[in-house]
Amino acid sequence: MALAATGPLLEVDHLEKHYGGVRAVDGISFTVERGSITGLIGPNGAGKSTALAMIGGFVQPSGGRIRFDGVDITGMAMHARARIGLVRTFQMARVFGNLTTLENLLVAAPRQRGERAAGVVGGRRAWRSQEKELVSEAQAMLETFSMAQKANDLAGTLSGGQKRAVEIMRALMMQPKLLLLDEPMAGLSPSLSRHLEDVLLKLADGGLSLLLVEHELETVDKLCGKVVVMAQGKVLSEGRMSELRLSREVQDAYVIG
Amino acid sequence: MAWEYYLVVMLVYLGTDLLAVWGLNLEFGVAGIANLAYIVVVAAGAYAYAIVTLGPSSGNGGFQTYIGGFTLPFPLALLVGAAAGALVGTLIGLTGLKRLRQDYQGVAMLVVSLMVTTIVSADIGLFNGTAGLALIPNPFSNLDPDTARWAYVALVAVCCLIGFVVLRRFTTGPMGRTLRAMRDDDTAASAAGKDVVRLRLVVQAVGGAFGGLSGALLAGFIGGWSPSAWAYIETLAFLSCIIVGGRGSDLGVSLGTLIIAVLLLQGVQFLPQIASSPGLSEDFGWIILGAATIAFIWFRPQGVLKERRPRYRGESPSKLPG
Ligand SMILES: Nc1ncnc2c1ncn2[C@@H]1O[C@H](COP(=O)(O)OP(=O)(O)O)[C@@H](O)[C@H]1O
Ligand SMILES: [Mg+2]
Repeated sequence: MALAATGPLLEVDHLEKHYGGVRAVDGISFTVERGSITGLIGPNGAGKSTALAMIGGFVQPSGGRIRFDGVDITGMAMHARARIGLVRTFQMARVFGNLTTLENLLVAAPRQRGERAAGVVGGRRAWRSQEKELVSEAQAMLETFSMAQKANDLAGTLSGGQKRAVEIMRALMMQPKLLLLDEPMAGLSPSLSRHLEDVLLKLADGGLSLLLVEHELETVDKLCGKVVVMAQGKVLSEGRMSELRLSREVQDAYVIG
Repeated sequence: MAWEYYLVVMLVYLGTDLLAVWGLNLEFGVAGIANLAYIVVVAAGAYAYAIVTLGPSSGNGGFQTYIGGFTLPFPLALLVGAAAGALVGTLIGLTGLKRLRQDYQGVAMLVVSLMVTTIVSADIGLFNGTAGLALIPNPFSNLDPDTARWAYVALVAVCCLIGFVVLRRFTTGPMGRTLRAMRDDDTAASAAGKDVVRLRLVVQAVGGAFGGLSGALLAGFIGGWSPSAWAYIETLAFLSCIIVGGRGSDLGVSLGTLIIAVLLLQGVQFLPQIASSPGLSEDFGWIILGAATIAFIWFRPQGVLKERRPRYRGESPSKLPG
């Protein structure tokens, strides 16, 4: 435990994914430190989403290992990763369309009594007090994201930007240690983007670690300490954004890609 | 009196249909499992009830053959029927261990349904093949016929009451919310920490128990059970009740059952019989059923009663979900 708590939060080691002959991810290694915002950038088709999908457990790697919080999680199911604090969002926001916005948040809360056998058998009495706490927690979160007035709307009726916000709030309800975000700013209005940037910065200040796939270099510049650059399935280089901007390799990859 | 007999039949059928529709709605309407083999769990309950009440297969001159053969009291036999439904439901649910898209899942289960019917029809030793089982004891056969009939209605009503209380434990509260989330997007549900594979098995066990109980009650009432009683098309009739009533809404699908099962399938029996074509009214019922279902899918996909979600003002829901 003592060791686990001091090493990097996430270690990706020679991770590979092949689709037939396509090497979507071709042996990448990098780490995410505790309490940091790490960026993962690169041209379209570089393999960023595939890498994130493997880390989140949605796609099984063809090779390599993933360690989270000192534990090898390479073969672990997605829901099990979520339960130990490794939570992802999707590039195309996914909400539970026939649940309300508030319910979308509630459903993600971990360790709900009402989901267990004892809670189902015991009925309302077994979970009412916990539910009450979760509801106020979720309502507070909606306030933070300025979406309180949408609480009772079905999530399927929300705009694209609002759905993305719901997805991020849902992820936060799970009290993650590491949040994987795939292009969270895509499709958001500039003002919503700024708002989300501020929220993410605040969360990082509070100790949450983030691995952020992002196309918008301005956002990456503003948020990320370390940035990992991918192209054609490989890690091209890593470092601070200010240094990377000057690198020929990175510039070429962005132009060519 | 004829009308009284007819009323009893309608009520028993309504009750057993309700149990089955609730179970299938839990699976399909709430949890998003396209279980097109649902009628198999109903059959499992009916056969289980039959063989634990019929006594040894050598009885009645040994004119029918089947496995097992016990004489349990009817409350226990009904529980055995529900348990058989749960077991078979779980087995059918194993097809979902490898996660399939919902449409493929539906096709796989339809094939399961056809396979099981074929096997049970072909194997005389199992449940007496195509001829099926007869002389299944009615639990109230020692009462006078009129009292016995109404006693059976009461039994079905009690089962429905208990069933509805159990059902609501799964369709409301945090459990119902989680199952509906899984229905809406199972990938996102996994990403939210839900063990989708396990949840589906649980749902198919519970839904199976509802179907099994329904089948057991039917077998005890009719006194017979054969493969013609549980063709795959019966699952589609239950699905129609769900689509017409309102997918995911317990009250809605109950209303749908009332509309479909009684007004259409049973109501056509009031049509004049045409001697030259004896199956006509039944065929006519299926046609009305199909047309009503398609009409709802086109013009009112949410059904008669739309699934309602709890609305929150302050900290407690101001309305209970439907
Ligand atoms: N399921 C898949 N089947 C086949 N090829 C895929 C699949 N997913 C991704 N790829 C390919 O892998 C490469 C990397 O894709 P992706 O990870 O989405 O890149 P990025 O997110 O960086 O734009 C692309 O060439 C893409 O076409
Ligand atoms: Mg991508």
